[in-house]
Amino acid sequence: MAAIFASRCSRVGRSLFGGLSNSSPGLFTTLHEMTCKNMFSQQQRTFIQMRTVLKVVDNSGAKKVMCIQALKGKKGARLGDTIIASVKEAHPNGKVKKGKVVYGVVVRAAMQKGRCDGSEVKFDDNAVVLVDKQGQPIGTRVFGPVPHELRQKKHVKILTLAGHIA
Amino acid sequence: MLGVIRARTWLRYSEPLLQPWKVGFSSLSAIDGRKHHLLNLQEIETVLTDVKADDVKVIPVPKHCDWADFMVLATGRSTWHVKNIAQALIYKAKQKQRGVERMMLPSVEGQAGGKWIVIDSGKVIVHALDEKARAYYNLEGLWTPGGIQNEHDEDLQKALVKVRRKNNSKKPAQKNA
Repeated sequence: MAAIFASRCSRVGRSLFGGLSNSSPGLFTTLHEMTCKNMFSQQQRTFIQMRTVLKVVDNSGAKKVMCIQALKGKKGARLGDTIIASVKEAHPNGKVKKGKVVYGVVVRAAMQKGRCDGSEVKFDDNAVVLVDKQGQPIGTRVFGPVPHELRQKKHVKILTLAGHIA
Repeated sequence: MLGVIRARTWLRYSEPLLQPWKVGFSSLSAIDGRKHHLLNLQEIETVLTDVKADDVKVIPVPKHCDWADFMVLATGRSTWHVKNIAQALIYKAKQKQRGVERMMLPSVEGQAGGKWIVIDSGKVIVHALDEKARAYYNLEGLWTPGGIQNEHDEDLQKALVKVRRKNNSKKPAQKNA
């Protein structure tokens, strides 16, 4: 689809700007590049599904985890959902090691989520807080902003440990 | 298409009082609407005294966090005692709402584990922890003003201490005459 759209744009450009002047093809290419950049280089904001790499925002010792199972919904996990993940990067002296399978609560998601007042909340990155099976946080501090929707999802412990609540 | 745009503009510019769909979606709005039914600070302190909770501390939440007014920290001597604290608070909330058509209970989190139980009763949040969990999470240091700053200062002092490296070389130390 993207290739078709790009080829159509280029054809239209040749037919319209073909015999105008020397500067016009350059102008068109810049416009064409800008449209392509806006359309194709933008991050896809979708559900957190299998093989999604997420940032860990607590002091449990892990840096990056990869989702291997979303525990709710057919499509994937969203803000406030619990996932099962595998630790891909970890600090050498942390509580969790590389390769360990852990549970995590999604505290920031790039996919937008509607609020009850009609607004939407979305973040720049996907981030998790590692928890155990009972829902106790492994780390003792949570860094960065955390949305207050976690209170409705019964993750008050994470809200308590967080520094800034959005 | 025009109908959708019209509906959106109506929602945006209409008064908040004319939006009944908002009520009930947010737990906070529901709690604020029936605040007199849930437990207040004095009742919580009475219950915690009755069940003999150790080291009860009431921390006022800073103004920038508008999701709660007070945090109450209580320590239980065992897992059973921590669960008993939570059960006593729920029982008190039920007793207070006797005769109400629709009973509204505080949400309880972590009752299966028993190491850290959170009872969310609207504007007052009660944390019942055992001794190890209270020392591990250090919630007083997080929520008291200047607590985090002190932690950072300690870390900075540790970082600035000069540590002499060990001599791991196999060669014997040479004496320079």
